[in-house]
Amino acid sequence: MSLAAAAVAAATTTTPPALAAVETRGFLSPTGVEIAFLLVGLVTFGAAIVTVTTRQLVHAALWLVVALGGLAVEYLLLTAEFIAWVQVLIYVGSVVVLLLFGLMLTKAPIGRSPDADSGNRWAALTVAVAAAAALVWVVVDAFRTTWIDLDGPAAGSTKATGESLFQNWVLPFEALSVLLLTALVGAIVLSRKTKTESSSPSVNSRGATGSSSSVPDSRNHPIGRKGQAEQEGAR
Amino acid sequence: MAEPVPPTPTRSRIPGSGLAKGLAVTLRTMTRKTVTEQYPDAQPELPPRTRGVIGLFEENCTVCMLCARECPDWCIYIDSHKETVPPVAPGGRERSRNVLDRFAIDFALCMYCGICIEVCPFDALFWSPEFEYAETDIHELTHERDKLREWMWTVPAPPALDPSAEEPKELAAARKTAEKLATAETEQAAQPEKSEPTKPTDPPKPTKPTEPTEPTKPTDPADSTKPTKRATTQEGDS
Amino acid sequence: MNDALDVALRLLLVFVVFLTFPLIIGQTEHKVMAHMQGRLGPMYAGGFHGWAQLIADGVKFAQKEDVVPAGADRRIFQLAPAVALLPYLLVLLAIPIGPGEGAVGEVIDAGIFFVLAVMGVGVLGSLMAGWASANKFSLLGGLRTAAQLLAYELPMLLTAASVAMAAGTVSLPGILDAFEWWWLPWQIVGAIVFFVAGLAELQRPPFDMPVADSEIIFGAYTEYTGLRFALFLLAEYAGIVVLCGLTTVLFLGGWHGPWGADGLGWVWTLLKTAVLAFVVIWLRVTYPRLREDQLQKLSWTLLVPLSLTQIALTGIVKVVIQ
Repeated sequence: MSLAAAAVAAATTTTPPALAAVETRGFLSPTGVEIAFLLVGLVTFGAAIVTVTTRQLVHAALWLVVALGGLAVEYLLLTAEFIAWVQVLIYVGSVVVLLLFGLMLTKAPIGRSPDADSGNRWAALTVAVAAAAALVWVVVDAFRTTWIDLDGPAAGSTKATGESLFQNWVLPFEALSVLLLTALVGAIVLSRKTKTESSSPSVNSRGATGSSSSVPDSRNHPIGRKGQAEQEGAR
Repeated sequence: MAEPVPPTPTRSRIPGSGLAKGLAVTLRTMTRKTVTEQYPDAQPELPPRTRGVIGLFEENCTVCMLCARECPDWCIYIDSHKETVPPVAPGGRERSRNVLDRFAIDFALCMYCGICIEVCPFDALFWSPEFEYAETDIHELTHERDKLREWMWTVPAPPALDPSAEEPKELAAARKTAEKLATAETEQAAQPEKSEPTKPTDPPKPTKPTEPTEPTKPTDPADSTKPTKRATTQEGDS
Repeated sequence: MNDALDVALRLLLVFVVFLTFPLIIGQTEHKVMAHMQGRLGPMYAGGFHGWAQLIADGVKFAQKEDVVPAGADRRIFQLAPAVALLPYLLVLLAIPIGPGEGAVGEVIDAGIFFVLAVMGVGVLGSLMAGWASANKFSLLGGLRTAAQLLAYELPMLLTAASVAMAAGTVSLPGILDAFEWWWLPWQIVGAIVFFVAGLAELQRPPFDMPVADSEIIFGAYTEYTGLRFALFLLAEYAGIVVLCGLTTVLFLGGWHGPWGADGLGWVWTLLKTAVLAFVVIWLRVTYPRLREDQLQKLSWTLLVPLSLTQIALTGIVKVVIQ
């Protein structure tokens, strides 16, 4: 049921995909889900290629949305509903929005940007292919014989994911969160340092107005003041 | 830092009470009757002194041209000619008087200042609250004397005086002369009444020009001042 | 066959709700806003108190020419309204209005995440429109939209997580099944934060800097006319439906009510949603637009700490009662 739900929600098709029997395990006798998986994978791959080859910056960001969305659909087809929605939430909803925000701030032009090409295209291609090969090899080697039972309870449901995350993988999880926290603190430290250097003459005025929290942000430097407030909040 | 500061700083003690007050204001307004006037469906109730359109009481006009001269945007057009009137008494000199040929107000130019009505010494111009005279052709907005007379019938009666208010000056003057005359008549009953003009004794009615239907004027006491004034002034004039 | 029919019926129902509810809310906004300002609002269209005003508006929009500015990025410009509108249609699928499987478009295991994720995608439509219009006001509107989304996504997620913690599930029907009346005072701070953040994410007044018509002439929608503009407007009102429905489901107990038999749960859901929609309109009429820096300050210094406090409170109570 959950698979049907996800597929219906994702593709808004009126007919639920046929839940194929899982006995026939092989690439040569594909089921409906496997065909869908392959097709979505192709779309995702194509979108990813366009993302890195297009000369239009904002188009690249929007193709990235397609690629990330396709990835989410793949997660759905693998019954990992929770991961799929988190993927949409974090990557499409926040990361791409941040990306677009940056592109708009830098006045990304409509149309082709002639300087959107990198000089070390071949080196980048080599690195990308090497990384892809390594990942594919690792994943294939690790999960070659693993099959997801579509008829039983969803293997990637929120409950299953949570239990696995907080029972078997607590230590990596916590290590990762500490890493992220470090990155956060590091970013704040870096931004504070450059800020105090650049705006050292205005320390006095800031001290005068910043002492009382009820005073609304100063009119002349809303962004700098806001940044400071955020940093204090984060600290 | 984490102290809940309302987004808009309020002077009140409870944070957010200003926000609540704002909500209360809008909610209260919602429960009240709206102020919208559904004009084409329902006619507005205009005060009696509304400056809608200007009506002309032609009989009072002496073609003195004051209104046309005082008009700031020159929207009043007056044409007239002189006529001679036969002498009142045989052997007297014949008099001349102005006869109105054209009186028009161009409401496309008029700015509704009301100066013409203020300056008219003979009370020939009046405000009317009628306002629905839009036209598709701007030339139609020049109202000739017949149309201005039509507006005259829409002039409402002036608001009644306060119960204890002072009598209007014209009425008081007219009555004083009437009383003086009456006492003089009773004292010198033998004397003939030839030399004394009888006009002031009966102020409005006889001197009133005979007009088809006079809506409100004669009934109202305050309004009867105007013909009185006209009668007295005209007498001195001619 | 029966399955397919069932799915088709549900989709049709959700679609009808999607098309009618925003119009009802829009008409209510016309009238409520007018009366709160001492006016009458539309009175002519349709005869009785202007009930057909929005239908007339739709007809008008459909007649207008579909203009794409010469310097615009045509395809993205034309695609943007669909991107803005469709996510809300998807979200409506997941909102349960009554108990049981029959009263929800589709039961989704990670319902909260689905709903919040898809709502976030809707903002992409505004960003695309703002960038592709080749208009500096639109670009400013797009920038403001992005900044606002980044600021308010966090408190929204945190408060939703608080409810999920309380219920022990992230499925929307699951949360409602676990609901008790005393969650209301327990989660009240979270509810307010969620509602306010949702308003900001929908760019509703008083958080409508991205579309501030008096400053940046409707922001990202400046260059839009006709049906595409109507789609953006529809997206805004569909967003109100979704936000009010979600707040009802997450914080106000959805179909639970003090009275009413089991069959009348959907009435409670609709009633609570309608009351919240009224509050949305009420807030719009009452408060002036926040300034951009005030908006950011409100989120980072008030809403985020409050939602963190709410999560802490939820965790403490959860541990204590177990």
